[in-house]
Amino acid sequence: MFARLANGNVAPKRVIEGQATNLSRTMHGIAYDSIHDEIVIPVALSGAILVFRADASGETPPLRAIQGTRTRLVRPHTVAVDPVNNEILTADPSNRAIFVFDRAANGNVAPKRMIGGERTGLLDIVGLDVDPKRNVIVAASRKGNGDKVGIFVFDRLANGDVPPRQFIGGPNSKLAHFRQVTIDPDTGNIFLAQQNTRMKQMEAYVLDKPRQGFQANQADEDDDSDSGRLDQMGFIAVYAPDDNGDIPPRAIIKGPGIRLAGAAGVALNPLKKEIIAVGGNGFQTFLLPEFFKPLIRRPATRP
Amino acid sequence: MRRVLISAIVAAAALAASWMPSTQASGSDESSLDDLLAADCVDDAALAIAQAAGRLPQEGGVASDDWPPDAIGGVIPPIRSVSDPFPTFDGLALDTVNNRVIFSDENRHSMLVYDRAAGGASNETTEPVQWVFGPKTQLGFIAGVEVDPVRKEFYTVNNDGGDRMVVFAYDDHGDVQPRRTLILPHQSWDIALAPKRDELAITVQQSNAISLFKRGARGTDAPIRTIRGLATELEDPHGVFFDEQHNELVTANHGNWTQIRPYTPYDPIVTDVGEYKSGAFHPSAITFHPADANGDVPPIRTIEGDLTGLNWPMGIDVDLTHDEIAVANYGDSSVRVFRRTGRGNVQPIRVLRGALTGIVGPVSVAIDTKNDELWVANYGDHSAVVFPRAANGNVRPKRIIRNAPKDTPTCGFTNASAAAYDSKRDEILVPN
Repeated sequence: MFARLANGNVAPKRVIEGQATNLSRTMHGIAYDSIHDEIVIPVALSGAILVFRADASGETPPLRAIQGTRTRLVRPHTVAVDPVNNEILTADPSNRAIFVFDRAANGNVAPKRMIGGERTGLLDIVGLDVDPKRNVIVAASRKGNGDKVGIFVFDRLANGDVPPRQFIGGPNSKLAHFRQVTIDPDTGNIFLAQQNTRMKQMEAYVLDKPRQGFQANQADEDDDSDSGRLDQMGFIAVYAPDDNGDIPPRAIIKGPGIRLAGAAGVALNPLKKEIIAVGGNGFQTFLLPEFFKPLIRRPATRP
Repeated sequence: MRRVLISAIVAAAALAASWMPSTQASGSDESSLDDLLAADCVDDAALAIAQAAGRLPQEGGVASDDWPPDAIGGVIPPIRSVSDPFPTFDGLALDTVNNRVIFSDENRHSMLVYDRAAGGASNETTEPVQWVFGPKTQLGFIAGVEVDPVRKEFYTVNNDGGDRMVVFAYDDHGDVQPRRTLILPHQSWDIALAPKRDELAITVQQSNAISLFKRGARGTDAPIRTIRGLATELEDPHGVFFDEQHNELVTANHGNWTQIRPYTPYDPIVTDVGEYKSGAFHPSAITFHPADANGDVPPIRTIEGDLTGLNWPMGIDVDLTHDEIAVANYGDSSVRVFRRTGRGNVQPIRVLRGALTGIVGPVSVAIDTKNDELWVANYGDHSAVVFPRAANGNVRPKRIIRNAPKDTPTCGFTNASAAAYDSKRDEILVPN
């Protein structure tokens, strides 16, 4: 946990870590519940969702843990919290599904709803958020070959194998190797952090065996220190809540400033109109009030 | 190093500034922006960057290229940036034949080589004799390190961002290509060499496994055997030591366990995934497996339980002369030493811990029986500390190697990939 105004090379104000926390040193999601003042974290390596007091520090056990055979969790990677409707949402790429739990769930508890199946198009779900005002769930999901790589929008109460009501993706979108997605609660604008514009390479191994015919790329798609080519660099992309189809973002942060972050994660401070981009062993804060207004595509200025 | 980073940041800011359009923002937006800036910008430099950044949204378009068309924003510098410009020590390997010590640096994606006798009481940065660093090196979020004193090679493993082992020679320096690479399973963490068997052992967090390869394996060579399965009790394995004398693999485990499905997120789904086993939190443990084990083989013995004090054990080393195991115990910033033949819920025979030790978030450890020393690499501090081998308790190190001046803070990131904002405390939350 860092002070919002932290700048430069600074140590965190607080750290939650150690055996008693049940955390691991490999976690890819986090959500803050401002109504109940709690932090929600998925632990992929132990198939669990943990909830901590937001002021926790040091080796503090979680308040609640969702884990067990009824949960159906395998490797939850990303998480969102809906404090209005009292729900915790998580996405599990191993199940290729979004699970919705009661916010107060604790222990071996079955999900209330599950969005998954062929019609959903969900595969490697790496980002997730929920908008209780507009009643939608937004998921960022990707696939190695570029098919159905993008942002999926579902009705908040969707359940089962249902198609998304909106999908943003395709060659014009340049969506490829992204992670966290988040929603501005006031406008419904959708913010997405993308690490680079190359499709993520399929993993070299399946279980403990090398993938047949695997060809290693010389370039490392996760590396944040490559050539710096603007057409390959990551960015923060912003979309209007109703956006749909193969479209470019309506607003963007890119360039060397964002590249220092790698743009794997994104968080918002709507009050101060700040966007926090995290990745590449650092985070950057951008002050952009225009991104927190209803987004209207600017008229073309070039012939 | 410091010069490199500062230059990069200055260049980035200049580059961004050079692309900025120059017309003014609208009055009302500028007013609210000024209010925000006045309240929050920590210094004049940040204020200047923020004011420049604040003009961009109103300009629209992208000065550097034409994508995305007609979007607001573009090439924008941050108003604040948190990162650590210095290396952070992670893995550690010791060569007492050629008198070198080699560290992996997860923060800046480099490898640093020092003279074995380097370090001392200075508060200044210790100069490495070699520094492998740059895009050609294929170093990403690297973890464990191993050294081959005979062939004068050193190895490290990309835990994230690359999924490969890279091997360098003793005279490699700067931005150089590895002598060879080996594609590994995702989340491989540590590497241990067995010179007599001519084999390598690699721990894999994601699949709770130890994969064994021929020493010279390269490219997409397959493992010659893998220890994996419920019976193995391998649970989020980290440090590994290949004990050829007793024919054992000694592994430090964090205790996290969950299934790995027989497909990746990109493969066609497989309906027959066997019995669903839910995730579990188990205590940290040291496991001992037969070195010839293959498949779902239980450990010969384990060290596990509350008396052990094991708490996110990371790197591990075995002293075959004194029959002891040293563990870098990240969770409580200690080094715990156990009898090699220990079994079950046993107390360590020595614990190095306390403010005097300078042990902060240790990730790796090495025992030097030739010079009777114990090495500890700190991730939570810009240092490695060297003790007499049998040091015990809250004692000062005899030497310190620093990769940044004393008291330089570190952010503590290990490939952070998400964030949240705590509106009550005005804090930014980042999981690692």
